[in-house]
Amino acid sequence: MEKKYALYICTGCSIGESVNVEKMSTLAKNALKVPVIKSHFALCGKEGVELIKNDIASEGVNTLILAACSARVKFEEFDFAGCIVERSPIRELAVWTQEPNSPQAQMAAEDYMRMSVVKAQKGDLPEANKVETVKSILVIGGGVSGMKAALEAANYGSQVVLVEKEAKLGGFANSLYKKIPTSEYYKEPLIVDTDIESTIKAVESNPNIKVYKSSKVEKSDGMPGAFDVTISTGETSETIKIGSIVLAAGWKPYDAKKLGHLGYGKLKNVVTNIQFEEIAKKGKILRPSDNRPAKKVAFIQCAGQRDANHLSYCSAMCCATALKQAKYVRQDEDAVAMILYKDIRTPGRLEYYYKEAQNDPGVMLTKCEVKGVTEAAYDNVYIEMKDSLLGDVTVEADLVVLATGMVPATLEDPVLNLGYRQGPGLPDLELFNGFADSNFICFQYETRRTGVYAAGAVRQPMNMSEAQEDATGAALKAIQSNEHSAVGMAVHPRAWDVTFPDPFMTKCTSCKRCTEECPFGAIDEDEKGTPFYKIGRCRRCGTCMGACPERIVSFKDFHVDMIGSMLKGVSVPDDEDQPRIIVLCCENDAYPAIDTVALQHMKIDPAVRFIQLRCLGSVNLVWIADAFSRGIDGIMMLGCKYGDNYQCHMAKGSELANYRLSKVKETLDKLQLEAERVGLIQLAIDDYGNLPKIITDFVDRVKEIGPNPFKGF
Amino acid sequence: MAEQIVSPDLNFVKEVIAAGADSLKKCYQCSTCTVVCEVTPNNKPFPRKEMLYAQWGMKDQLITNPDIWLCHQCSDCTAFCPRGAKPGEVLGAVRKVAIKEYSGPRFMAELTSNPKYALLLFAIPVAIFLVILGAIGHLDLTAISLNENGVIAFPEFIPDIYVDMIMVPTAGFAALVFLLAITKYWSAMAASAGGAGGGDIVNSITGTLIDIFTHKKFSACGVAKDRKVSHLLVFYSFIGLAITTSLGVLYVYGLKWEMPYPQTNILKLIGNASAIGLLVGMTYMITNRMKNQAKAGLGSYFDWLLIVIIFGTCVTGILAEVIRLAKLPVPAYITYFTHLVFIFVLFAYAPFSKMAHMVYRTTAMVFARHIQRD
Repeated sequence: MEKKYALYICTGCSIGESVNVEKMSTLAKNALKVPVIKSHFALCGKEGVELIKNDIASEGVNTLILAACSARVKFEEFDFAGCIVERSPIRELAVWTQEPNSPQAQMAAEDYMRMSVVKAQKGDLPEANKVETVKSILVIGGGVSGMKAALEAANYGSQVVLVEKEAKLGGFANSLYKKIPTSEYYKEPLIVDTDIESTIKAVESNPNIKVYKSSKVEKSDGMPGAFDVTISTGETSETIKIGSIVLAAGWKPYDAKKLGHLGYGKLKNVVTNIQFEEIAKKGKILRPSDNRPAKKVAFIQCAGQRDANHLSYCSAMCCATALKQAKYVRQDEDAVAMILYKDIRTPGRLEYYYKEAQNDPGVMLTKCEVKGVTEAAYDNVYIEMKDSLLGDVTVEADLVVLATGMVPATLEDPVLNLGYRQGPGLPDLELFNGFADSNFICFQYETRRTGVYAAGAVRQPMNMSEAQEDATGAALKAIQSNEHSAVGMAVHPRAWDVTFPDPFMTKCTSCKRCTEECPFGAIDEDEKGTPFYKIGRCRRCGTCMGACPERIVSFKDFHVDMIGSMLKGVSVPDDEDQPRIIVLCCENDAYPAIDTVALQHMKIDPAVRFIQLRCLGSVNLVWIADAFSRGIDGIMMLGCKYGDNYQCHMAKGSELANYRLSKVKETLDKLQLEAERVGLIQLAIDDYGNLPKIITDFVDRVKEIGPNPFKGF
Repeated sequence: MAEQIVSPDLNFVKEVIAAGADSLKKCYQCSTCTVVCEVTPNNKPFPRKEMLYAQWGMKDQLITNPDIWLCHQCSDCTAFCPRGAKPGEVLGAVRKVAIKEYSGPRFMAELTSNPKYALLLFAIPVAIFLVILGAIGHLDLTAISLNENGVIAFPEFIPDIYVDMIMVPTAGFAALVFLLAITKYWSAMAASAGGAGGGDIVNSITGTLIDIFTHKKFSACGVAKDRKVSHLLVFYSFIGLAITTSLGVLYVYGLKWEMPYPQTNILKLIGNASAIGLLVGMTYMITNRMKNQAKAGLGSYFDWLLIVIIFGTCVTGILAEVIRLAKLPVPAYITYFTHLVFIFVLFAYAPFSKMAHMVYRTTAMVFARHIQRD
């Protein structure tokens, strides 16, 4: 579009009292050649907004630079359709965090104004990349989670395809004798029918749900909004178009054959908790060895769990299950149930369930360590305990139930069978013991594959109640994904973004750095090995932009030249005692932390200039060369944490930035520039209190190294 | 130690629950009770482990241990228990069961602890004394003569010899049951603790008696701290009444001096003071219980039976004296009769009712001191 620029400087919120707005206007007019320059004491108010709207209507301005507050506030007030709106945060970064009426504050205000003008010049209005999409939802797994997700999506109005590998829907709920009541579970009877049959019936009779039984997902190609999923049932297969996917493939019990030390496989009357359900379902609790009724049933909790030799984690549902199963035992008035635990974990309102289930003369519990399980007479079992308040005693039971844990379906099976170049399953699940979980603290149910949402026990060990809640959330995400894909908008976290990566393929050398480094597998390669984008999978983080050594990737409003030019627009003082440091910060944790520091009116070292990026993954190393050649003394990258407990909202961005940093240090050394001039700091948003000190420490370090020898060239 | 095979005893659990520990199974072993208890030793403290033993029906561990009697039921634990498991009441119930276990014959313990036999307990002495009255022809109360001084004299109604021939063997029986019981208890505790220690038993006894006479443990209570005063009054009043009775024996059988005695006599002075002390103490005890019931619970049948017996003994005794001094013969004789019934109930069932605490608790405290439990 043909741009008509206008600059509006707000003098409210102490801006007018802290910087010389006249000087700024003069600079904008003479040096930056902005045709329309106005100021107002309250730009976000009715009058201020009217002022801008009038200019748009009468003078045809369409590229607005608002030197006022941060882009993270007042976005409704400054929403002008069809216009480019650049928010220059002089209030936060030049007024609230600097000494009022100081030369440093003035320099900062002018720098940020200039950078925003450059940004407005270099950017363009985005146009969505619209492709043909469908809004159907594939649910993998027909257990409690899958059925709930299917029903919720169907009730919303989506078309749902449900794929279940067994011949019957229902999953493990089919094996249960009874379940814990989901409401008022502190009242008798404390065990109720699972009623899974009515849920199955509801699913199978719902006109919006198509059920495939004895089937599995053979392959999933394509992208959100346009997945091509091949479902195979026995010998036949069918490929259908799917919009988004809910992964509810559930769990398997941990292999109890590995629990020989607890008697499994060696003693006849030692069973797992799921096997106990099957025994109870037959009517009376009879021992496997001789079919006589069990009168003294022992439950060994944390069997092969919270154990370095087996599962390291807790499966969340086994304690409440043991209490429930104790009630099965107590259906026989003379029988006793003995629960041997390390801890009893019944969080939330299950505490009331624990209190009621325990309140029975025949239910005994004790904390202990189980030392050994040996044979007693009549196929009974001796359980040796230690560290118990009962003493180092041995308990005799005629049936032992081991509380074995949950292992996710995704531990050994990719399940999704994605036709992505990066592989058929979800990456990096070792971080979560194989569970399809993520550290996206802001975004639950997310996976590293856009359009795929995990729910239920495949995501985390949980009980049926929690799984259904999970499924509802995942269904909601799946619906959201479809709605966004339909209009060419990113799904999350940049849920407003209609830009997309547009590579200049002529210069592509097929090095595939972008393909490998994309956290979301958004880039595949063709037969010739040339990478190509599946735009629907993309989350618009810009990691590919940072990766590309040829700098061919760009977005309409975010590209290498834009940031490079902004860097060149920053003032570099001649005075050697006044260093200039650039801070590249990500928009997820880092920039909000800076905003919070400003909101608290804490002061920041005047040497720094902040440039906001989508993600540290988008940092292209050419910016570092550009900055140093301009005479800038140091560059700090500020982003979210990476590693095992990563908080990086794009999973890999800051990690990759750190990795690339190690490469650039070699280059810097060759230029006789000290590598310590560049650094990466990980920050969590709640750590904003330390930010001023972190910045000052970095500035001091650079001061110690000395000014950039390229200054003044 | 892993040789010890544990089998939870469901029947014993039900027995403890029926004895007054209905909230037993609410305990989830958080240990708040033990932390809050001021009288527990730090090594293997109570009442947490007793709650667990009781939940598992481990009878042996519960009753061969001095701990249940070291507890003075101040009810701080009950007040602070987050689950409402009332450990104080549970231990009270266990003590009741322990009494049944050690004080034989068992049917007498059953009689005393079961509410449905309440009337029978009193019916027995009523029958006994009616038989005596019948035998000596004194059933017509209007025909009882006044004594040589023209005043009401209870020996005219029932001669002392007949009272004593019932009361002395009764007391003797109680003493014998106690002796057998604490021998059994001591051996059981010794066996469980792996020996009774080789210290000086006299020292242990003396030390315990000093604790009891100063009511040292009672100061530690939080919720029931008013109980120190009430129990101290009751305790010393009992001692006073014991002295009174001894003096009475001396007067009647030694000095051949019959009742009634003048108010200025030392026997009357001690007796009346003790009676008033007992009345005040018991009233205070009752009002305290009512006041604390939200935090500590109201108490079981077992607790209240003893309160009724002692209070009844005290009130009937005072009333007998007052009515006698008011020169109303028939009411006086009836009141005196009732008084004798209460005294019989107090003595006869002492080893089986809550009264047994005076012997059991003392024994446990001596044992604990002896094996240096603290």
